[in-house]
Amino acid sequence: MKRWGGAALCGAALLIPRTVIATPSPQRPDSLTFTLVAPDSARAGHPIPIVLRLTNTGDRPLDLYLTGRTITFDIVVTRVDGEIVWRRLAHVTSQQILQVKTLAPGEMLEVKDRWTATAPGDYTLMGVIPTDREPLRTAPARLRVAP
Amino acid sequence: MSRPSTAIRVAAAAALVAVAACSDGTRSTGPEPAPVLRTVQAPDLGVLARTVPGFGGLFLDHGVPTVYLTDVTKRGAAERALGGFAQSRGVAPAEIRVLQGKYAYGDLDRWTQAVSYEAFEQGGVVFVDLDEAANRVLVAVERGASHANIRSLAARLGVPAEALVVRETDPIVYASTLQEQVRPVVAGLQIHFGNFLCSIGFNAVSGGQNSFVTASHCTNVQGGVEGTQYFQSLSSQPNSFIGTEVADPAYVRGRKGSACPKSRRCRFSDASRAAYAAGVPFTLGGIAETSGPNNGSLTITGTFSVTSEGNAVVGDVVNKVGRTTGWTQGVVTNTCVNTGVSGSNIVQLCQTFVDAGVGGGDSGSDVFGLTGGSSVRLLGILWGGNGAGTQFVYSPITNIEQELGPLTTF
Repeated sequence: MKRWGGAALCGAALLIPRTVIATPSPQRPDSLTFTLVAPDSARAGHPIPIVLRLTNTGDRPLDLYLTGRTITFDIVVTRVDGEIVWRRLAHVTSQQILQVKTLAPGEMLEVKDRWTATAPGDYTLMGVIPTDREPLRTAPARLRVAP
Repeated sequence: MSRPSTAIRVAAAAALVAVAACSDGTRSTGPEPAPVLRTVQAPDLGVLARTVPGFGGLFLDHGVPTVYLTDVTKRGAAERALGGFAQSRGVAPAEIRVLQGKYAYGDLDRWTQAVSYEAFEQGGVVFVDLDEAANRVLVAVERGASHANIRSLAARLGVPAEALVVRETDPIVYASTLQEQVRPVVAGLQIHFGNFLCSIGFNAVSGGQNSFVTASHCTNVQGGVEGTQYFQSLSSQPNSFIGTEVADPAYVRGRKGSACPKSRRCRFSDASRAAYAAGVPFTLGGIAETSGPNNGSLTITGTFSVTSEGNAVVGDVVNKVGRTTGWTQGVVTNTCVNTGVSGSNIVQLCQTFVDAGVGGGDSGSDVFGLTGGSSVRLLGILWGGNGAGTQFVYSPITNIEQELGPLTTF
């Protein structure tokens, strides 16, 4: 899996990304939004860009306790029946260091990756960022993959 | 027993007068008075001492109000003063239990205050109490502390020997969590450096230098010594600086014929050593203990003691205590695994996998096996985990000592 670079980011704009606002979790301040941005349709065999955005929408700095020197994040792709077809952090060993990341008012933290669907069908995407308490999760986003 | 303020005592006295007025034995043909005393507070013992002759203490014995009186013939006064309180507890005034007391409450109170004033100057005193359930002055001391010193003090203060009870008890400490400042420093506590948080693996002495070991990646730069400064538990707290990184061997590149894979950098342990700053108290072999494994608690309830070192085999049940997920316990599933570190070109050679909980901030935690009581066998330090937080990876102690040199750990 390659990281999604700047060129891919430009290409992603052509795919009409859709933003889904996550449901606030109990551990999350009201001023923190966590969104997943991805196209709602793609073709099998083509890499699909997925962006997770963590934004401080409040007027005060927020301290976030996130795992890893490079922020650890997960993307979970499931079929309609709930079967997980891809999990970014599956079979991965991550260092368990905790990073105190301060988000200034209005600041956004963005992480991204790509997933390539091998079979057409309807999928659900969800972003997860581990913290030292409950992980932050985005709301699920639908994706239709054509042959 | 706490002693309420004058205002509260006055209010309580007024309530007692009301109680006495309502329980004078007369009966009304009208509706019963509202049960204003159903929620009465516990009577003020100082007020009782003034209103009930020979009063020596009040307590509940299996729910029944029970009083000490030096003159048990004064039962009527006790019933009048405590009738309302008894009724609020579902006990009729006539059912109040009266015990023969030897000492009046006023004397016990005076002796308690006199002993308390001086006793704490002596080492090992945990608390001083007017024990109203025993009609005695109670002094609790730490286990092994001198009883004789307390007794001689009490005698000098004019307290009758029979009026004093000296009892051994555990010291009372603040309930701290793994994420708070704790001294002496033990393994499992949170450490802070830069913008990062990790856990202490274990205390050690190396070449006469008092130290603690944590993960190599819990330094400013993983591999190589940069003098990382550590704070426990946060740098923003006063007196939180505890030590400086002094040992963190470099990662070596793979070469043909070496154990390290091609184009990777390797070590046999993700471990570093920091020297304690002068004057920082620590417990060699001490590991913070919480209330139990896999219950999520971070509150420290005791201390494990390292009494040996060793290695685990597949199937062994092992433990870790770290600042994020506390005490977790599980089964060793794989040993001597060459493990790639996500997002890097690092491979940690010959590591151990355990099916047990882990979370960000647990890096550097102690890993150990229980050997009976609070004794444990030190096995290594945790550095990694899977995405689900259900499996941790640790560097075995033999690998750590191979790279950091011989360590005295208990």
